[in-house]
Amino acid sequence: MSVVDATLAAGYTVGDFLLVVAAGFVILAIGMLYRAVKGPTMQDRVLAVNVLGTNTVVILAILGAALGEPTFLDIALVYALLNFLMAIAISKFTVERGGVL
Amino acid sequence: MTGATAPVAIDGVGSVSSVTFVTSVTPVVAEISAIEASLFAFVVLTALATAFARDVLAAVIIFGAYSLGMAALYTFYRAPDVALTEAAVSAGVTTVLLLLTLAKTTRIDHEAAFESVNYPAAGAVGLLFAGLAVTMADVPAVGSPDAPVWGNPDVSQWYLAETYARTGVENTVMAVLAAFRGFDTFGEAVVVFAAGIAALIVLRREVFA
Repeated sequence: MSVVDATLAAGYTVGDFLLVVAAGFVILAIGMLYRAVKGPTMQDRVLAVNVLGTNTVVILAILGAALGEPTFLDIALVYALLNFLMAIAISKFTVERGGVL
Repeated sequence: MTGATAPVAIDGVGSVSSVTFVTSVTPVVAEISAIEASLFAFVVLTALATAFARDVLAAVIIFGAYSLGMAALYTFYRAPDVALTEAAVSAGVTTVLLLLTLAKTTRIDHEAAFESVNYPAAGAVGLLFAGLAVTMADVPAVGSPDAPVWGNPDVSQWYLAETYARTGVENTVMAVLAAFRGFDTFGEAVVVFAAGIAALIVLRREVFA
């Protein structure tokens, strides 16, 4: 029996609690989305999506712990790398137009 | 579906007519949890923002956020292979390709932040959505033991029972992709590789300095 299955309070396990925490992080992501949509500059949007990506990595890690699936951490790692790539690509595009690759 | 293969959740492994059933599957709850509801809200909001953003670069950036939400949703539904594909294709390749397209064309600066709504088109999309939503009532719940595909002894049950013995891969979907239809997947990889080469030739960037 792992830590995730331990009862926290009133019949709810630590895994259930982690799922609620992950939902909280998703609600935070909706707040970050406001900055990505509103802008007003492209730099604001790039930064907002970068924070969203980091937030997604956290959500994936929490989901991996809550559901007892360590392989989710691999997806989290891939997302961390791609998030970096996406931010670099958009930043380069806005600075020197066409220099994406 | 034959009578002997009723998809009841039996603990352990039962053997019926040479096909060993793996039937200790706990059905995923049909009700929507907090994490699903918040992820649905996030995905719908990003999709709407992508559709309505007036500036193309802003739409590309918000589309990246959409794919982040979709991957989290796929991961929650325990489809890590789909989540990885979504990460690599949607967040990585699509964003870069769309940016390259923008770089080769002109981007118009707009005063308004959002696209104006074309009401006849929105009505047509709404009707299509309503028509599709009607059919949703007949779709079995995720992980439901009453799903027709679950009780099929010749296909789904056979793969669930035989996959590990034949391939040594625990994830049945991955085993089908990489082992049972490995040549198909290899062909797909060839197509993707050819597409990548073609994109580089079009961009006149055969060499990365």
